[in-house]
Amino acid sequence: MCGIIGYTGHRAANDVLIESLKRLEYRGYDSAGIGIIDEKLQTFKDVGEIEALQYTIPKIKGNIGIGHTRWATHGKVSKENAHPHLSCDKKIAIVHNGIIENFRVLREELEAKGHTFTSQTDSEIIAHLIEDEYKGNLEKAVFSSIKKIKGSFAFVAICEDEPEKLVGARNESPLIIGVGDNENFLASDVTALLKFTNRVLYLDDGEFCIVTKDSIHIFDKSDAEIQKEENIIEWDFNDAKKSGFPHFMLKEIYEQSDSVQRVLRGRVSEIDRSIELPDKVESLLNDTIDSIHIVACGTSLYSGMVGKYLIEKITNIPVFVEISSEYRYFGTKDRSSLVVFITQSGETADTLGALKKAKNAGSRTIVVTNVIGSTATRIADGFVLTQCGPEIGVAATKTFTSQMLSLLLIALKIATIRKELGSDEIYSYIRNLKDIPRQIRQVLAQSDKIADMAKHLKDATSVFFIGRGVNYPLSLEGALKLKEISYIHAEGFAAGEIKHGPFALLTKDTPVVAIVTRDATYDKIISNIGEIKARGPQVIAIADEKDTEIEKHADFVLRFPTNTGLLSCVSITVILQLLAYHVAKLRGCSIDKPRNLAKSVTVE
Amino acid sequence: MKAVILAAGEGRRLRPLTETMPKVMLPVANKPVLEYVFDAVKNSGIDEIVVVVGYKKEVIMEYFKEYEGVDVIYVVQDKQLGTAHALLQAKKHINEPFIVLSGDNIIDQKSISKLIHNESEYSMLVKETPYPSKYGVVTAEKNILKELVEKPPNENLKRFVSTGIYKFSPSIFNTIENVISLGDYSLSSVIQSAIEQGKKISTILADLWMDIAYPWDFLSINETMAHSVPSSLGGSIEKGVTLKGRVSIGNNTTIYSGCYIVGPVIIGDGCEIGPNACIFPSTAIGDNSVIHPFSEIRNSIIMSDVHIGSNSFISHCIIGRGSTMKHNFSSTAGKSTMEVEGEFKKLEDIGAIVGADCSIGSHVVIDPGKIIGTRCTLGSMNRIIKNVSSNSKVM
Repeated sequence: MCGIIGYTGHRAANDVLIESLKRLEYRGYDSAGIGIIDEKLQTFKDVGEIEALQYTIPKIKGNIGIGHTRWATHGKVSKENAHPHLSCDKKIAIVHNGIIENFRVLREELEAKGHTFTSQTDSEIIAHLIEDEYKGNLEKAVFSSIKKIKGSFAFVAICEDEPEKLVGARNESPLIIGVGDNENFLASDVTALLKFTNRVLYLDDGEFCIVTKDSIHIFDKSDAEIQKEENIIEWDFNDAKKSGFPHFMLKEIYEQSDSVQRVLRGRVSEIDRSIELPDKVESLLNDTIDSIHIVACGTSLYSGMVGKYLIEKITNIPVFVEISSEYRYFGTKDRSSLVVFITQSGETADTLGALKKAKNAGSRTIVVTNVIGSTATRIADGFVLTQCGPEIGVAATKTFTSQMLSLLLIALKIATIRKELGSDEIYSYIRNLKDIPRQIRQVLAQSDKIADMAKHLKDATSVFFIGRGVNYPLSLEGALKLKEISYIHAEGFAAGEIKHGPFALLTKDTPVVAIVTRDATYDKIISNIGEIKARGPQVIAIADEKDTEIEKHADFVLRFPTNTGLLSCVSITVILQLLAYHVAKLRGCSIDKPRNLAKSVTVE
Repeated sequence: MKAVILAAGEGRRLRPLTETMPKVMLPVANKPVLEYVFDAVKNSGIDEIVVVVGYKKEVIMEYFKEYEGVDVIYVVQDKQLGTAHALLQAKKHINEPFIVLSGDNIIDQKSISKLIHNESEYSMLVKETPYPSKYGVVTAEKNILKELVEKPPNENLKRFVSTGIYKFSPSIFNTIENVISLGDYSLSSVIQSAIEQGKKISTILADLWMDIAYPWDFLSINETMAHSVPSSLGGSIEKGVTLKGRVSIGNNTTIYSGCYIVGPVIIGDGCEIGPNACIFPSTAIGDNSVIHPFSEIRNSIIMSDVHIGSNSFISHCIIGRGSTMKHNFSSTAGKSTMEVEGEFKKLEDIGAIVGADCSIGSHVVIDPGKIIGTRCTLGSMNRIIKNVSSNSKVM
């Protein structure tokens, strides 16, 4: 997992590379580097965040160069392991994202031929391999090199002897071409380029390209030149700015009343009482569906677990939630099953691997993603976009709520097709859906109160989150948010499970956050709170604003606006996000860039 | 040149509308007042805006996150002590001559250009008004300010008043610090003190300047600004819809068959209107609002996320964001005397003012000029003859 960038054109490459690397930092930020050709190839790299490095990087002249921001997978965080990596003659430089699986074998071969390596990374072999194949033409050397490499990669190479061209190649890691006027770009993703261009070409697996400032040539696996369609990205450059908020995460939390609206807009009609999804998705949902598999990882997995409760309740179709990296190798690929994949970036390596397996097995596949044109949208049979704009904070917020609602729309669509819900029930769902943005605003208005509550958690060494039904995956998400940005150990449990083991860990110093909705299990969770209280911990309840009983049982209460059963999941999530945010802020944590984590994980 | 926009205040006289958003974010012809100020400033060639925010700042920051063409920097005024104190918060971003504006006054780009290009070190925009008692009254000789008197006792004479829009050099911050050290936080005191120090302040007449102080100001300003919104038809418009005059319809909005719309009317994104609804001048409907069949709306501001049931009648009303009313809601406009913070105003034609997030049952009637607070619940079949304070329930 890393971010790469290449530039050739009329501007100073140094400035473009640094600006773009800042936008790519969410992909990794433990070290960074650049390489620029100005007659001679010059490189600079170091350990640290680009924000700090930008002041120490010397001004290297030149109009063509490559850059990299790293999140270590092979080899520790060190200056040597930072990119760009160079060939022995220091004429060829590469930046790479991905994992080369056969790098040990290749390294031994190359060392036997006399190449000397300076780092422990898998990436460095690419530079030496190209050097080995180089006979005066960079693209030919790249083409013969990629045939020898096994694994995932997106890389960009430059060569001092051919100072006009960038050569990029991709296999299972993202790489796009940004098209400008008298300048062109290569990058891991669109956000890096938005300041300069919104015209983009996507490379597919096995393809490579030669980019100069005024030409782009793309070749497929068999070295035959191919044409690609240009995509115009509607995202705004400003979407990737903090706009006065102290952190991207807080900005993205506040954006949710708007981003939720964007999921619904044009898809939900109150007057017609209808749900509209893209034609391809609707035709997939129209078929007989015996079961649904939801496959995802991380936060997306938890939104998938919420989806299970929503879909089962609304459609009565059994839903199985699977972890991408497990499903990929061990899942039963059932042809009669509809498989729904969830990935924010559309590039998550584990989920893509699982998607390919399901597709090869003949399953019908739908992907829920935030990025149009991403690899996942191009592989799956149909896709539903969450339409929430770029998410920069490493902790997913707005994409989680939008994913839940996208799954709900899929559920409602299936239910209308199968006539599981009557017109009045659909109408009532639509009305309640339209109330969600208002409810989010209501929760946001309580931010100060939630910040107050955060004081009770900030010194804890361990926090439990509990809930039943749909609140169980919300507990997992609440715990994930807290642990990833505040570094407090946190666990989410199904409230009924806590007595089957986790109880042993409860002491009076383990605060418990209990999510309480007024459903059929209300009494049960109240008695769970009682059991917990008996062991001494403080309990913070997240409860319905109309719940007048809860004060008697919990020490503190945070309120969410009443909504029919399952739909309160969105406002509860916003409370959990704000709680995690404020705890992390009180503890002085690096909220947008938590240690050891990166936004979209494009390695296995 | 940079501009400092003061947008930290709450706008108490505009309660309950300002209970969920700051005054500068209230919509006029579907655009927050502050966006008019941003646009005017940007179009006059300013390249950086420093916005002083405070009360409900996140609402402002979230809305303008996509604002393009000018750099926007936020500074926070934690306590809203006064305009001079607010301006002082921007000091660290200012090192050259700059202009300062209040975020809740609509101003045109031409007036700002006149101010920017004026050669004196300090200058200000003034405007004639028949109601000078709310403002700082200006006395000038040969376009040089002699005296600024804040809120003089009732004089119903046409006088020139300060628009609160100035051009300063950074030296003003010394004067501000001096005045504040004496315990006075208002910008007019700073101006008065500058005059006493012998500073020459040029006065320039503004062309268009509108101050929004009271709820009723909104309807008249909405009417004025609605005329300047060009026609545009986004979304889908079914067969059998009649559109006359200037009508602007946003993306993803559906206008169902049989609707009759007479402009100026502005409808936002993602709305559903009709079938058979009538919308008359000068009405603005925000994003994601739904107007059910057979309803009639005239001369009103309907904010975003509002739900209006079938057979409703709404005239000269302001309906706050996220409020819902079931069928047969009626708000007849008529004569009324409204009271806001101790001030009385006789109005010829005024409907209801409904705060955000209210839930109103069916067949509710609200008398002219009555104010319903934020998050109220009004049960079905009620007639509301008194103001209802926020978070109340009328059974």
